[in-house]
Amino acid sequence: MAKSVVIYSTPTCVYCKMAKEFFKKNNVSYVEHNVAEDEKAREEMVGKSHQLGVPVIDVDGEVYVGFNRSELERAIGKR
Amino acid sequence: MLYDLVIVGGGPAGIAAGVYAARKKNKAVLITESFGGQSLVSAEVQNWIGTKSLSGLELAQNLEEHLRGQDGIEIIENDLVTKVDKTAGGFSVTTREGKTLETKTILVCSGSRRRKLGVPGEKELDGKGVAYCATCDAPLFSNKTVAVIGSGNAGLEAVHDLLAYVSKVYLLNRGEAIRGDAVTFESIKNDARVEVIMLAEAREILGDKFVSGLKYLDKKSNEVKTLELQGVFVEIGSLPNVEFLGDLVKKNKYNEIEIDALTQQTSQPGIWAAGDATTVLYKQNNISAGDAIKAVLNIQEYLNKNK
Repeated sequence: MAKSVVIYSTPTCVYCKMAKEFFKKNNVSYVEHNVAEDEKAREEMVGKSHQLGVPVIDVDGEVYVGFNRSELERAIGKR
Repeated sequence: MLYDLVIVGGGPAGIAAGVYAARKKNKAVLITESFGGQSLVSAEVQNWIGTKSLSGLELAQNLEEHLRGQDGIEIIENDLVTKVDKTAGGFSVTTREGKTLETKTILVCSGSRRRKLGVPGEKELDGKGVAYCATCDAPLFSNKTVAVIGSGNAGLEAVHDLLAYVSKVYLLNRGEAIRGDAVTFESIKNDARVEVIMLAEAREILGDKFVSGLKYLDKKSNEVKTLELQGVFVEIGSLPNVEFLGDLVKKNKYNEIEIDALTQQTSQPGIWAAGDATTVLYKQNNISAGDAIKAVLNIQEYLNKNK
């Protein structure tokens, strides 16, 4: 079944770019929120992750902070 | 199987070594967590020779692509060398994911990592207002008050990045003089939102769920003072990644690996080192790459002699 992925990012964050490339490479579609501009998304991100760093990645309700390739591979069932 | 060479690290030094080792037809393997080294997070790199300007991510991708374009080099990624032991024929290298590799020689290109403050609250509030990447996280501190600790170039650039968003930045400096470039300091110090506090030593980061303050020792008056703020960006330099070597090689008092400047040899025959993990005076991408190449060429002589 297709995974539901939400990425909270800022435009200047390289780990956000790496996360997005990771999902593209693995043919997993995602919704992206730019928390530098979208205040509502920023609050949502802080609420989900209880912290202030990007990226925050929500895979089917499981919340990951930062870009950790092996964790995300597990999350999308690649490992 | 016995390798000729194990390259530890995937930054500019490691990649340069990998490319040269492949062209020398060494039986070589490169082990790295990720590619690109510490410049990965830089928004823009303007001094990588041959390219006028590129992002840290592009630099990392170019390096990775150059390495993958070589025949005969083995790559182990998403892994990390955790231990090196001396053996009869050379060395045994152990990785976090449980691999063990036997090799004649090792080139250490493991670089360095950010130094932490080591004060109460830093660990507990990591990500909750304590941050180490202003380029990444500055927008999350819109209209907030933050502190940057450290006045090297990284600290000054953090202040610069933050000024696009925050309402106030304290720049705390432990010493009497700003350590970064005067040009960068000039560009930020006249902003009314910047307050520079010299001779200030961070003591504790305060906060429950998120950062709410910073205690520091004012070394002029010898008083502990408190700033009310929501973010602390730590930019106080780096530590070499050398723990996996134990006592195999000689290090200086900063824990940097001592090298022979002509050959990059360490005090341990069979181990070479290049880049930010070494005593090299200037920690620069171009220098790391060049020094690693020097090492690989010297390793050829060693391999030929010890056939």
